[in-house]
Amino acid sequence: MHSVLQRGNSILAYALSVLACLTFACFVSTVFLNYVTDAKMNTVKVVVKNVPDYSASREKNDLGFLTFDLQTDLTHLFNWNVVLWDKIIIRGEKAVLDFKNMNTKYYFWDDGNGLKGNKNITLTLSWNIIPNAGLLPNVIASGSHSFKFPVEYTTSRM
Amino acid sequence: MDFINKIPTHMDFEGQARAEKLSRIIITLFGAVGLIWGYIIQQFSQTVYILGAGFVLAALLTIPPWPMYRRKPLSWQPAKNGNDNQVKEGSKKGKKK
Repeated sequence: MHSVLQRGNSILAYALSVLACLTFACFVSTVFLNYVTDAKMNTVKVVVKNVPDYSASREKNDLGFLTFDLQTDLTHLFNWNVVLWDKIIIRGEKAVLDFKNMNTKYYFWDDGNGLKGNKNITLTLSWNIIPNAGLLPNVIASGSHSFKFPVEYTTSRM
Repeated sequence: MDFINKIPTHMDFEGQARAEKLSRIIITLFGAVGLIWGYIIQQFSQTVYILGAGFVLAALLTIPPWPMYRRKPLSWQPAKNGNDNQVKEGSKKGKKK
């Protein structure tokens, strides 16, 4: 502590140590929280087609089409240790989801013909928690919805 | 350059101890308050900002050698004249460094 530089070095090092302790306290305060919540979902329209996927080959594969409802409240998942959920919901934005008759974002391709008449297709909702400090859990909501694909291919355009 | 060299950077021993103690107290206090406040409003960024404010305050109060850290100067023995002593002092200094 005998020179200006040494005093500066000393308090900077101490401040950074304190910052590490505070970050750890923040982590400890949220590590035992339960991030599971309930989600209600339902399918509205379910159709299966048998068409070629030209991006892979010319063979015909099953392609499922469905629209779905989703109702869930993710508000309590956000706390002082959570920065953002994904590109869509940042902390502070409205996290009460109530979607009706939504289209899927990606094609539901099967490699083969497993979708036609399949009786056990299950929709689930899951999310990644991205904290300031700590674990990165992948949490699955407690609600899910199972449905069947029809036994007939749909050939008409939708 | 003479002007720069004349700026006092000296603290006495007790002043150094007080400066270190004071800086530790300020930073710890701001850190604790920041943690509580950040938890209340659920914003960890506020915790970091308050700790940063504490760091700046501690830097202003304890890095420059303010007069309050120079109140108890050591009373050195008066320098002695003589060739023998000078040689001895020189060798001691060399050992210390």
